[in-house]
This record gives sequence, structure tokens and C-alpha cells, in this order.
Amino acid sequence: MSDETLTPTPAEEAEGGRRIGVYVCHCGGNISDYVDVEKVISDIRESGDVVVSRTTMFACSDASQQDIEADIKANNLDGLVVASCSPKLHTYTFRGVASRAGLNPYEYTQVNIREQCSWVHTDDREGATAKATALVMAGIGRTRNTIPLEPMVVDTIPHTLVIGGGIAGLRAAIGLADVGLRVTVVERELSLGGWVKQLGRMYPHGKDGRRLIEDLVAKVKSRPAITVLTGAEVVGKAGSFGNYHVSVRVGGEGAGTIDVAVGSIVVATGFEAYTPEEGELGFGTEGVITLPEFKELVDGASGPLAWKGRPVRSVAYIYCVGSRNTAGCSNAYCSRFCCASTVQTAVQVSGLDPSVRQFHLYRDMRTYGKFEPLYTEARDAGSVFLKFDNDEPPTVAMGANGRLTVTVRDLLTERTELALPVDLVVLVTGMVPRENAELVDVLKLPKGADGFFNEIHPKLRPVETVVDGVLIAGACQGPKTSAESVTQALASVTQSAAILKKGFTELDPLVAVVDADQCTACGDCLTTCPYDAIKMSESADRHFATIDAASCKGCGGCIPYCPENAIDLLGYTDAEVTAMITNMAEVPV
Amino acid sequence: MTATSIPVSAPVAVDLGLYPEIQKFGATDISACFSCGTCSATCPMSQTDGTFPRRIIRYAQLGMKDALLSSKELWTCYQCGECSESCPTKADPSEFMAATRRYAIASYDKTRLARAMYTRPAVATVLAVALALFFAAFFLTAAGPIPGGGFSIWAFIPEELVHNTGVVVMILVALAGLAGVVTMARDIGRKEGVSLRSAFGTRAGLARTGRALWFAIGRESFGQVRFRDECEADDVAKAVPWYRRRWLVHAMVVWGFVGLLAATGLDYGLALIGVKATGTLVPVWYPVRLLGTVAGASLVYGATVLIIDRYRKANRSVTGSTTADWMLLALLWVTAVTGFAIELALYLPGTPEWGYWLFLVHVSVAMELVLLAPFMKLAHAVYRPVALFFVGLAAQPKEAQR
Repeated sequence: MSDETLTPTPAEEAEGGRRIGVYVCHCGGNISDYVDVEKVISDIRESGDVVVSRTTMFACSDASQQDIEADIKANNLDGLVVASCSPKLHTYTFRGVASRAGLNPYEYTQVNIREQCSWVHTDDREGATAKATALVMAGIGRTRNTIPLEPMVVDTIPHTLVIGGGIAGLRAAIGLADVGLRVTVVERELSLGGWVKQLGRMYPHGKDGRRLIEDLVAKVKSRPAITVLTGAEVVGKAGSFGNYHVSVRVGGEGAGTIDVAVGSIVVATGFEAYTPEEGELGFGTEGVITLPEFKELVDGASGPLAWKGRPVRSVAYIYCVGSRNTAGCSNAYCSRFCCASTVQTAVQVSGLDPSVRQFHLYRDMRTYGKFEPLYTEARDAGSVFLKFDNDEPPTVAMGANGRLTVTVRDLLTERTELALPVDLVVLVTGMVPRENAELVDVLKLPKGADGFFNEIHPKLRPVETVVDGVLIAGACQGPKTSAESVTQALASVTQSAAILKKGFTELDPLVAVVDADQCTACGDCLTTCPYDAIKMSESADRHFATIDAASCKGCGGCIPYCPENAIDLLGYTDAEVTAMITNMAEVPV
Repeated sequence: MTATSIPVSAPVAVDLGLYPEIQKFGATDISACFSCGTCSATCPMSQTDGTFPRRIIRYAQLGMKDALLSSKELWTCYQCGECSESCPTKADPSEFMAATRRYAIASYDKTRLARAMYTRPAVATVLAVALALFFAAFFLTAAGPIPGGGFSIWAFIPEELVHNTGVVVMILVALAGLAGVVTMARDIGRKEGVSLRSAFGTRAGLARTGRALWFAIGRESFGQVRFRDECEADDVAKAVPWYRRRWLVHAMVVWGFVGLLAATGLDYGLALIGVKATGTLVPVWYPVRLLGTVAGASLVYGATVLIIDRYRKANRSVTGSTTADWMLLALLWVTAVTGFAIELALYLPGTPEWGYWLFLVHVSVAMELVLLAPFMKLAHAVYRPVALFFVGLAAQPKEAQR
């Protein structure tokens, strides 16, 4: 850290203003290669209220953080500006620095002179330096106007709503009950269990899906903390994080709704099986069926297979139907479960009748992880695997003799075109997102381009959504196996517990507030809030708008609508923003 | 065919029954094969065509019957067992190739007798015993009393009868064998683009045919050149003394068998031109007799060692044995040993009675061996050279084949 400490000049002391520390980061060279950081310091040093100003090689390093903390304490600073990288990276880092040094963290301003300056102006050192100075000046301007803020503490309801009674929802409900939370499970169907309930033997434990669900349902029933509503749908949501009031319609259309007060919501609404288009790989032709239909046939069989009364002596499986853009379908993703599910079913078929000829027409065999032995097992049992190129997908045709013929060019046999005479064609259909328009609307659930619900971060925050307290688990988030769905379900239990077990939660205080004295109760703001946080209140003598701090996300959407400028956004007040603009405008760029 | 040249021909109709059918011929579980190609990388015969034997296995898995039966490469394999040693899925490609050759022999045989012999060991065994007994009974009905005095086999069973029976058997075998060979040659020829015209129609064609014949019959069948030089893993070769090497033992059977056929033919030829009657006592060094003795010794040695090695599972090539394998060895051995014993009886003083009985066994089993040749493992002695002929043709420069 270069020694640029200034003892307060008499002029600054005299102003009686703020005592601000400004730190400009080299970021190794990411910034200082293109911005003259020393010049920035010298240009802002005299701007008033700046008590400490330094450059630093890496502001985020432990040593630098400790230096800043020491400066804050030694100089009794009441404002902090760090000009480094994006606020997305280190806002919380330097808020922490402030807190540790006894400074209110909201007195801190992060200035981005890397992503928004040095990296984009590598060709103009002088201009970049001037821009960096302007940005730092703006930060100083804001900091002059900051006020100490405290996080809002909101009591939370120790109760979780689980939407969806499939394997993920049921397992989540049990987990939630076991950590001491109350649970309400809402299932649209009349019975619990979802897809897994329909499954026969599952890999690798060999247990029937039906049995698995029976066990889970028994566990649910044995826990008094769990309430199950079947034939029920979520139709409304009010309240805020930690205190949601959810309306659940029970007993079908026209019947009553009940309100459930919950602290968090676990969405486990599952998936829908892909239905091929008419004619897609022969779909619609007699004897061309989907994987779920075939599994039902196999699970229900106790001897050699028959389809519509005719013995099944040969089967062709066509993989990736409805996934990976196969045969022109629009879904780009891999459905993950289908390779393993199909080879497992093929092994089952061989067990029922070893003489059945089974041909697997695949693009890439993805029996990943512990499913790989299934693939070997299927081959050992006589399944033959043929690899096709997506540029030339197989064709399925019904011959004049009433027999199905699958034509495929096998990449493993010198691209020879083969005609396979088979009794049954199984289209290995993948997963598609379930149609849930009403629920998406009620919960404001974020959806990805593929139609599945989006998590905040695919690796680090896999079950949280941008809606606080609304978690996603299982195949509603993307194609998964049941094991993976359960893993997510348990992650959502942990997340719910993290939110609800303390009994309260802290919210960022950067929310909009109404100056009741200025408010004329015109009502213009009421319709602007996407989170329904604004209400009209009344005191003894007048009406005025109030904003529920717990519901407000601090988006600022209401502010420009107020004709009286009666709404201000904490952390981004009019005074702060005006000072930023003014300061910035003073620097010639 | 390369990956980019896609033929416009109609799709190959898959025969769902092919794989189960081949399995009946002893194929182990080839379904475990996932086409990795390790076998092709290991196979000493796969030098020019990197897809063998993987491609042949694929044909069977998928049911590409025509492609399989018209694959000349099937017969280039001398079953060294290297591929089975290296196969990561333990699919035993080596045993598969053997089973597929059995299947091919049965497919070329229109009488379906070969199929019955291969797929039903009990039927084959009963048939072999019954046929030998039939021949013995047949000859016995015409047999006279065991003659006293000098050893005279023809006094026991009339030469005419043996000769005529032999001629009839030969004709039957030739008809059955020829039908199979023609089918095979036609199938392979069609796939290889070889026609009668291209093989025999031009001087260049004839020259190529000549070279291919030399390769198939001279180098490969009599010389056993690639069998000796390439188809024996070094470790296997080093593990046994030279006189126990697979190629040599097999070659001694081949040489012995052919030598005995030649000696018999020459003996008959000498009788025809009036030099000497068959069965005449001649000195041991008499050329035809000497040929017969040496060939017989070779066959006895070869067959004996093959039986011992197979019994002991002495090397990778004989880890799996079928009734068909044992039957050929047994018939060869009995024929060779009894033939030898007859010669012994001939030169022994006095007239040992067992000589006559062994003679009866000899002619009966020899007749059976010849009669069953197209329907059993011995058929490879004809099919393999035919396939190798096409291998020899394909090995020659393409431009000459126009």
C-alpha cells in the first residue's frame, strides 16, 4: 500500500463534513495497466471530506482488508469508498471490512473501475484515468450522503409448503418434519406418488417404485407435523419472505380455498414425459410406443411380452427422442435418466424372455456414473447397440405385411444401412417441463429458455430461486433421476431450515420508503409494485401510502411514478444519486 | 468402403435368427462385444484390413447373414486365440470365429446334415458310430473266412468291393462338397467383385488366379506359412519345443493326410498300369510304400499330439472343444493307427489274426471319414483354401483386376 495517508487538513476539519477513506485498487495490473491509479488518488485527494486515500495492489487481499480496518479505526472514518471491481464480486467483502472496524456497512460505496473502466478502455490510458477519477468522485459524492442502515429483522413462520407429492416432495416433507418444521404438502392429483409410483423395479436396489412411494407415504402419515392436501392447487400467494400466505384450492374447481401461512415454499412439481409429434420417428404407427408405455408393459408382465395380443419377439429402441435436438426436435438438453432407464428395462425384458432380440439405436450411450454396469448387463443379456448419426436419424415404417421395419445407418458397421424387422419400436422419450402456468404466475417462478425452473446459481445455489424463500427441487428444475431429485429435495430441506430455524431472518434494508408527510395519497404508486408491497394506510386524519419493507425488493420501480417525490430508496436516495451525478459531471472526461 | 462413401443400395435386411443360430454352433457370448476393436488391433491376420475380426462379429450380432457368409476373412483365422486373450469384455472372439466357420460349413451344405452334426452332438456321435458299424457290417457280409498262410487282406474282403464302395463314396462326397464350394465361391466372388471372366478370361486374370492359387494351396495349405510365422503368439511358441508347435503338428496332419491319399492313389495307379497289384508285399523302401509309411507316421504323430493338447487344453487355441473337434481327431487317429497296424501285420512273420480285424476297422472308418467330410470339420480342408484363394486375389494390385 503506497503511503498516501493524509492527516486532515485544517480546511477539511473546518468543514465539519464527513471523514471518508478512499482506496483505489491496482487489481494486480488489471486496473493499473490502463488507469493511472496514482493520478486518480492525487486528483481526488483534495476534493473534500477525504481523510485517507491510498492505492492498493489487491484491495480484497487479507492484508489490505486489515490495513483498511486499521485506517478506519485510526482515523475514525465514517465513510468508505473502494474503487476496484464489480460490486457483484466484493460489496459484501468491504461491507464486512466496515463492520469489523465498527463502521456501519451501508456507509460503504463500491466503485467499479475494472469491468466498467480499465477492461473496456485498454486503448486510452488518459481517458480511462479521467473516467476512473469521475467514477471515484461519484462514489465520494454518494458516500457524503450515506446514512447508517440496519438490516430488517423479520420473524419467520416455522412452516413449509411443499408443492408436488412425488418422490422429491414427499422426501422433502419428511426431512422438513424431521428438522422440526411444520409441513403442508399440496398435490394436484388425488393420490401421492407422482411418476415413481407407476414404476416397477428400480435400479440398483431392485425395489418397486410403488413400494418406495408406499414407504414414503407411510412415513409422511406417521408424522403429525405434515398435512397433506390432495386434489389441491396453489392459487394465490401474499405476504413476504418468511411470512407467506398461500391460498390453496381444495376439492376442485369451484370448491373452497384454504390459507396456509408458511415461511418457505418448496416447489417439486416434477416433469412431463415428452410426447412425440405425429409421424416423428414413426409415432402414431401401430406398435410404435413411448418409453413410459413400454415400461408399463414390462413392469406388468410376468412372462414373455405381448403387445395387443401379439408376441413381442424383437424390439428396437430409438434413443434421445425429444432430447438433444434429435430428429429436429427443439429441446437441446439431455434428459439424463432415459439411457439408464432403457437399458435397465431391456435387462428386465431379457429376464422375462432371453430370446427376445433387442436393438438399441443410440446417439451416445450415457449410462453415467453407477449406471454403467447396467449397460454391460444389457449387452451380456444380448442387447445389440447401434449408433446413428443425428444427421441421418432412423426411419420407422409399417410394411405391407403389417410388420414394422426400422431403417438405420449403423456407424459401427461401416455406416451400412440396415433394415431391422421388429415387433415393437420403443421411442425413448425424455423429460419436458410440466405445464404450470397458474403456479408460475402466482409464485413468480423464473423459467429458463428450456421451460424448466431456474435456480440462482447452478453450482453454489442449486435449489434457491430469485424469489426469496421459494425453493425448487427435482425434475421441475431440469431432467433428473429420482436419486438426484431426492438429493435436491434434501437440499431444499436444509435451505428451509437455514431460513426458518432461527425464527427470524435479516433482510437488506435497501428498500423504498414513503415520506408520509409529503404523500398526497394519489394512489399512483399502488399499481407499480411487482411485489404488491405498497398499500394505502390511514391515520386518524389522512390517507398515505406505506411500503411493506419485507416485501419490497428495492427495485425502485415506484419512485418515478410519485408526483410528489415522496418515495425514496434507501441506499440510493435522491440526495445520493444527485451527488453522484453532480460530482461526476465536474470531472472533465 | 470409407466413412464418406455411402452406398445407394437398398438397406440390408437383418436376419433376426442369425445370432441365435450361430450360438447353436458353439459361439460363446459374443453379445458382450461392444465393438471396441481390440481384437482387430491384436489379430495378426488383420494387417491389411483393420476391421477384422470386429466386423465379422458385428455381422453376427446384427444379423447380416449374407455379409457374414461372403466374408473371405472368416477363413484366414487360424485361431491363435490372441483376440480372446485381449478382449476386454471376455466375449471370446476366437471361439466365435470357430463357431462361425462351423455355421458357414453348415450353411453351404444344402443337405442340412452338417447342421444336424454340429448342433446335435448326440446325433453326430450316434451317426458316426452307426455309420462305422454299417460299413463294417457291409464289408463283413462279403467277407470270406480269415485266410491262412501269408497276410492277404483281399482274401478277407474282396478288393473290388472296397474299391467300388470307395468310388461311390467319393462321388457322393464330390457332389455334396462341390455344391458347397460353388455356393461359397459364388457368394464371396460376388462380394469381392470377382467373376469367372475376371478370374479366367484374360491372360492377366489367369496370371493373378495362378498366383492366388499358389498362395492358397502352396503357401497357406501345404506351406502353412502364415500359420507358422504369424498366427502363434511368441509366448505360446516359446513355451513348447519345435516339434510341438501348433503349426507343425497341424501341418503334419495335413501332409500325412494328403500323403496317404497320394500313396493310395498311386498304389491304385500302379495296379492300373500293371506294375504291381494292390496289397502286394513290397519292401519297406518301395517308393509308394515309403510314402505311405512316412505319411502315416506323420498323421499318427500329428493326430496324437492334437488329441493330447486338446485334452490338456494345452494352449489358447484349444480352450474350448466341441464334439466336432473330437470326432475329426478320433476318425483321423483311428484311420491312421489302424492303417499303420495293417502295415505292421504285413511285415510281421506269421499271419496275425488281429491284422484282419484292424483292416476291417480301417476301411470302415476311412470310408466314413471320407463320406462325412463335407458335413464335418474336415470340410475346412476345402473351404479354407477357396477363401484363401480370394484373399490371394485381393492381395494383388487392383488395377490388374479390370
